[in-house]
Amino acid sequence: MPDWVHPVSDYMFHEGLRGTLEIAVVSLVGALVIGVLLGTLLTIDFRPLRAAIRLYIEVWRGLPILVTIFIIFFALPAASPALEFSPLTAAAIGLILWGSAQVAETTRGAVVSIPREQHEAAAALGFGWIGRHVFVILPQALRRLLPPVVSLLVNIIQNTTIAQVIGANELLESGERSVERLTAPPPIGLGEVHAFEIYGAVMVVFFLISFPLTRLAAYLERRLA
Amino acid sequence: MSVLAFEWGYLVENGDALLHGLYRTIYVSAIAIAGAFVIGLVLGAARAYRIPVVSPVAAVYVEVIRNTPILVQIFMLYFALPEVGIRLDAFTVAWLSVMLWGGAFNTENFRAGFEAVPERYREAAFGLGFGPLGVFLNVALPIGGRIALPSSINTYISVLKNTSLLYVISYPELTTTALQINALTLQTVETFTVLAVIYLVLVWSMSAAIRLLEGHLALPEAR
Repeated sequence: MPDWVHPVSDYMFHEGLRGTLEIAVVSLVGALVIGVLLGTLLTIDFRPLRAAIRLYIEVWRGLPILVTIFIIFFALPAASPALEFSPLTAAAIGLILWGSAQVAETTRGAVVSIPREQHEAAAALGFGWIGRHVFVILPQALRRLLPPVVSLLVNIIQNTTIAQVIGANELLESGERSVERLTAPPPIGLGEVHAFEIYGAVMVVFFLISFPLTRLAAYLERRLA
Repeated sequence: MSVLAFEWGYLVENGDALLHGLYRTIYVSAIAIAGAFVIGLVLGAARAYRIPVVSPVAAVYVEVIRNTPILVQIFMLYFALPEVGIRLDAFTVAWLSVMLWGGAFNTENFRAGFEAVPERYREAAFGLGFGPLGVFLNVALPIGGRIALPSSINTYISVLKNTSLLYVISYPELTTTALQINALTLQTVETFTVLAVIYLVLVWSMSAAIRLLEGHLALPEAR
């Protein structure tokens, strides 16, 4: 193997892949927490609340994620200097907004699919609205949420690459930096173009992460169906 | 620049440029959606009926596209292929990348649609003397195609949204145009408000169109 491979792959794994996983984990957790909450609230029969949550879902699902991330990264600081975020944070916020909109929609469906008797039985046992949902309804609904959540994880992992556009150091960005560095004339680089090998490797890594997860999602869907 | 007051003059000064960008977004999306429709139809049928050679090749294509980020695919086509002697201009990469992506997802949509056509319908058609192609065109396509319709239109909406990623190859569609205007005018709040509103209008009207179309084309039993 040529000499450049080792330092480049070292850099991409330790800096790039780490950034990718960081954004993915934060985004998944954030999307789940906000999404499950909004989706559960969406089942309450109170029009203004439902309309507000609907608007949230339609806006963040409707916008391209790149545009959402641009708004957070460029437009928010222009509106108020307090709203300045690092590229990594801005990307994670964008993915949380988009992901939570997806989760909210699926949660609503899952909560509605739990039979009414479960609500009534829990109410008869003296649970209030919150207790009823936290201890009785959601634990059952979350089981149905599992396959779509695994699919969401795949989508989030792939969409972390959008953070590259605003310069967050994730896997694709670390690849681009490596390509640029190797292209630079010596002594900085080698004056050689290795875009095909490096972007190809990025593609392979994403495939190796995503493929087992897509299989898992399909398997869970079959088993829970 | 006042921060919270929207300066309406922005639209007068930059309206033309934005409309040009919007036109390119719609143009590229239209090519990609038409291509994704054909790919989905042909490869979806090949997958559903396990046509030798074509079906496994289509399966590999679908898995590779679905399990890798579209942004990396765009990078491969535009920044990596020249290294092996294949030079594509920005416009070609623009429609090709989103078309290949949409085609892969649409193959799955149509495969699921065709597989959902009850076997007895096809047997009945064979019994009436239709050949394999006749059965496909007269029975599997009208029924399976309609089952696949909602999910395939969702794919087309995603294709439209994904054209925003063409920003990375500087193809002057809507997002690229808006960012160029932003760099020149520094009217950041105006730029991103307008950009967001245009995308939402596009995406929301497409979703509204689906619902209308769904009502029209839905199978009698689904109504």
